[in-house]
Amino acid sequence: MNKIFKYLFIFIWSAFVLTPLSWALVTSFKPPAAVNNGATFIPWLQFQPTLDGWKDITGISGYANLFPPLINSATVTFFSTLISLTLGCMAAYGLSRFSYGWKNYKNPDIIFFFISQRIMPPAVLAVPFFILLKSLHLLDTKLGLVLVLTSGLMPIVVWLLVDFFNQLPKEIDEMAMLEGCNPFEAFIRTILPLARPGLTVAGMFAIIFGWNDLFFALVLTFTNVQTLPVAVVALNGTVTPFWTLSASAIFSILPLVGLAFVVERFLSKGGFAGAVR
Amino acid sequence: MDSLELFDEGCAVSLNLSQISVEGESEVILKDITFDFKPGKIYVLIGRTTSGKTSLMRTIAGLLEPTDGEIHLGDVRLDEVPIWERGIAMVYQQFINYPQRTVLNNVEFPLLRAGVSKADAKAQALAMIEKVGLTEFINRKPSQLSGGQQQRVAIARALVRNTGVVLMDEPLMNLDYKLREQLREEFRVLFKGSENRVTIYATTEPSEALFLGDELLVMHEGRIIQHGKPDSVFENPSTIDVAQIVNDPPMSILDAEIRDGKVSIGNLMSFAAPAHVKSQKDGRYKIGIRASEVVLGGSGSNSEQGEVSLSEVSGSETLLYVKLNIGEVVLQLEGIHDYYIGQKVTVSLAPDRLFLFNLDGTLCAAPGN
Amino acid sequence: MSSLTSKFYKRLFLLPGLLLLIAIIIFPLLFTIRVSMANWNVSHSGLDWAGGANWARMFHDANFWQSLFRLFYFSFITTTLQYILGFTAAMYAWKGFASRRFFRVLWLVPLMTTPSVMAIVWRSIFREDIGAANGLLSKFGVDPIAWSTQIFPATVTITIAEVWQWTPFMFLILLAGLLSLPKEQFLSAEIDGATPWRTFWSITFPLMAPISIGAIIIRLIEASKIFDSIFNLTSAGPGNSTETPAYYLYTRGLREFQISYGATMGLMYLILAILTLTILGKIFARVSKPRGI
Repeated sequence: MNKIFKYLFIFIWSAFVLTPLSWALVTSFKPPAAVNNGATFIPWLQFQPTLDGWKDITGISGYANLFPPLINSATVTFFSTLISLTLGCMAAYGLSRFSYGWKNYKNPDIIFFFISQRIMPPAVLAVPFFILLKSLHLLDTKLGLVLVLTSGLMPIVVWLLVDFFNQLPKEIDEMAMLEGCNPFEAFIRTILPLARPGLTVAGMFAIIFGWNDLFFALVLTFTNVQTLPVAVVALNGTVTPFWTLSASAIFSILPLVGLAFVVERFLSKGGFAGAVR
Repeated sequence: MDSLELFDEGCAVSLNLSQISVEGESEVILKDITFDFKPGKIYVLIGRTTSGKTSLMRTIAGLLEPTDGEIHLGDVRLDEVPIWERGIAMVYQQFINYPQRTVLNNVEFPLLRAGVSKADAKAQALAMIEKVGLTEFINRKPSQLSGGQQQRVAIARALVRNTGVVLMDEPLMNLDYKLREQLREEFRVLFKGSENRVTIYATTEPSEALFLGDELLVMHEGRIIQHGKPDSVFENPSTIDVAQIVNDPPMSILDAEIRDGKVSIGNLMSFAAPAHVKSQKDGRYKIGIRASEVVLGGSGSNSEQGEVSLSEVSGSETLLYVKLNIGEVVLQLEGIHDYYIGQKVTVSLAPDRLFLFNLDGTLCAAPGN
Repeated sequence: MSSLTSKFYKRLFLLPGLLLLIAIIIFPLLFTIRVSMANWNVSHSGLDWAGGANWARMFHDANFWQSLFRLFYFSFITTTLQYILGFTAAMYAWKGFASRRFFRVLWLVPLMTTPSVMAIVWRSIFREDIGAANGLLSKFGVDPIAWSTQIFPATVTITIAEVWQWTPFMFLILLAGLLSLPKEQFLSAEIDGATPWRTFWSITFPLMAPISIGAIIIRLIEASKIFDSIFNLTSAGPGNSTETPAYYLYTRGLREFQISYGATMGLMYLILAILTLTILGKIFARVSKPRGI
């Protein structure tokens, strides 16, 4: 009985996961007739696949080119992940090893402060960020976007890593200090090598949230810098045929799908052990 | 590198603590510790688990900040020097090694930090590893070693630097009995040649203290309540607390009275005062007797019958807890014996082995040898 | 640790990150507060002072409160669904069957996708005329459903999109947690002959409590900001039946340039969110204590 339920679940859930992806994939190869006259599903049987959608988004047909936004996304995501990992990791270590206090505010409050940065809906933060970047002449630049994204990614990194560092015995860095390392050297030489699993998890989440951001990129960049989600949504705004849209959807998803493989490898090697509490 | 400058092969300095106090959030951790540790001696801190031994060591190392007082190493005011420049080595009771480094790298690490050249560091590390008997394991990681081996690595790391101060916080506590005995012997050898070093060793076990220590410091509730040569502390504990700490199993303490040259304990025991007690004034006192000096059987004015309340086999000895009218008494018997609860036995206290304490706990008279 | 040097290092670790965060966030926060008490007309420069006028208006704004109410549904129900489905999937992917590694990758994929982009895909699926959903239904002889013109179906589409997108988040965190559980308790349960169901409730679930709580809280925070799917799927339609606070703020605050009003609502939202989180945190703390966790 349990077995039936198990296989049923696995089947249904997998089918569910595949549904929008396969629909987008199939649709990206459809000619106009296959889309506008009602839904069609099976290539070659119900329609003749074409590469029009794909030509449209790769600049071949001159309609749009999604490669530059792809590169922008990659650059922006890379740097915001790098900065938030570095600073967030140090902050998390500090919060794990030392006790900070300013009047009545102690460590848990500081952590809560970090996390609360994620609460505010982007719509509210958009305008002040706009003004802030404008006054710094950072509108429509990669640097500006990186700064804003970093402020959103650091909380995640800190939240994940504080727990992780708490699990690494304090005695190891104490020992390093007794043996001549100042606290920073102790951190780098002894704790950081042990922190690879935690850093990988945090980095992974940072990449996901950074790459997939729509709102801030939409509000804070226009012509010079365009990230991939913005480019795709822009296509959606104009009258773009479905096959092109679907192709753009698949295109924008592919880069991170590779990440799924990496994450699974990592999981199976027990890399997450102790990384999540 | 400062830590090496603080300490030089030919120059031995003493570690001086002056009125060190550490206050926790709701309790006092250390109170008014003043002591002069001389180089070349092994000092043993003995006391119960919460007595402050670990806190004292951590304060010396700089891991705990004193609320009051000063620490000097030679001329240097140590408590103003950051941890990583103090030149102090420490061994924890949990086996702490760098998990991602091999045994060799572990032992090399402190030397490299101190500025020793790579070649020298390797040579010195190998020499120390050989001293602790781990040469075949130099390329293993700590997780691949047994507990005893891991602790040896930690000890090697601590001693390889030749620091002026070495702290050992109950290093053998997490090891099994046999290993403890073996390593204790090895310590004797390892600590030789340390004329320029202050070695401080913490333990809860009197046997370890007596075996290893040149001088004993008895700690209780954050203070040093007695210090001196192990033998003299053992023979002349200044208070009941000290007596309980340096005896394992603890002494049996009973209320007693001295009147007209007779010692009476409760209603049933009354005997002539032994030589070392004769000169005491009449009045009420407390009597202490070691478990190994309570005798089974006997009759007479220093005997009483009681019931066994607990019988415990420990190693190759049996501990017998007997409930008498006058209180409870512990006996330490050689060999393994079978007793059941409630069994009636007679115990005798040898008058010339009694310790006499005032009601406030201080020592009045101790048995001569 | 003693002395000024250690204070230096203590600060060295926390301050760069904390200060950067404060620097980036402080202006927006102060700005939002100040602007909420004015009536900022973008064309004029300079801010007047309107005191609590915006706040009063907000308290009477039915749209705002309705959107909040709707948010309770969206965030709590979707999070619950995601938790249950995610945990089930994690349990099976843990050690359930032979080819589980493949399925782990598959089930992780939605998390890697861009929510706004996927919302566009879902929209094409739920198009009433040429979408896949109605197309499939018609093959089974079912009448087409008005996905975007009726309230309940529209809500369902959003729910489906959200569940699809974020269940893998729960899945990942819970699976990672399961993989790091110590084996001893399970061995003894096996020896005692406990059924899988029993083992789950008595051992697995309690052991996973801290992780579950963390994941749920983080997911709730994110879910409350739900915007991408609303924006690209239903545009809060039909009417404003699927309007959430984040979307309403966007409409009033950005599209209609009522920045002050948007700021006011934003602050109200922040206050409510922090209150809810604090209460939730306390509830969770009390629930997990008695079990001795």
